[in-house]
Amino acid sequence: MRTLATLAYWEGVILLGGFLGVVLWKLLTGGISLEQLLEGDASDPNSADGCSTYVSGGRTQLLGATLFAAGYYVLQVIHNPKQFPTLPTELVGALAGSQALYLGGKARALLLGRLQQFFNRRVP
Amino acid sequence: MKNPEFVLSTILAIVITFVIAIWVPGEGTVKVKLAICYAGLVLLFLFGFLILAGIASGKIDIGTLLAESGGGASMSRFQLLIFTFVIGLSFFLIVVSTGKFPDPIPTGVMTLLGISATTYGVSKGIQATGMPGKAAPPAGNGGQGNGGAGDGGQAGGH
Repeated sequence: MRTLATLAYWEGVILLGGFLGVVLWKLLTGGISLEQLLEGDASDPNSADGCSTYVSGGRTQLLGATLFAAGYYVLQVIHNPKQFPTLPTELVGALAGSQALYLGGKARALLLGRLQQFFNRRVP
Repeated sequence: MKNPEFVLSTILAIVITFVIAIWVPGEGTVKVKLAICYAGLVLLFLFGFLILAGIASGKIDIGTLLAESGGGASMSRFQLLIFTFVIGLSFFLIVVSTGKFPDPIPTGVMTLLGISATTYGVSKGIQATGMPGKAAPPAGNGGQGNGGAGDGGQAGGH
């Protein structure tokens, strides 16, 4: 049984480490594109394809909040690897608020223009 | 045969099961348990390793893992990727330290993944509603193609 546990341990290390390593490597070398990660799409009737891009504050703050929450979680697990850490309510609230801000900004950029177009068409 | 390596892995796992079941000394029920455990481990490792090798060599393309339907990288996909790795690694560390599965899975983990997955879903909905006419680039153009163009801007790649 001890051999089985050791085998399972090394299997986990190799597979999990391998997947993490490959994805990180591809992210760093550009194999997985991070282009326009902080740019959002906005509805733009003047553009040929109906939309244009802009630097999105919502995406930027979401990236910050995500990295902070993920870093906090990993540090807590490293400090006490006996159990899953309990996240403070404030952190969960901040993360949820951050997501709401991002989604709100995206909806505003993509849907508001279309709504305005719709009403402009109906009201002569 | 399209994927001989998968067939070979399965055969190897079955052979290991029989070797343990026949030649390893011990009680019958223990031998059956050991055989199933070893076969499962070997099968899981070989399948995982084949997929890993495929990704590393480029045979399995993950270039559009974070791509959005209109081109560019998706923040919600990126976030889901980060949280998946963070929780996967945490889970592994905890199982290794304690020697057993955490029971029950804490609500904090579910909340983190739930928030992230919900954002991804809502984001896709907004994207599909707001960008109906945006065409994806033609196939083979820098690996950014997301399937078809036109109908709802949500074709393929998700």
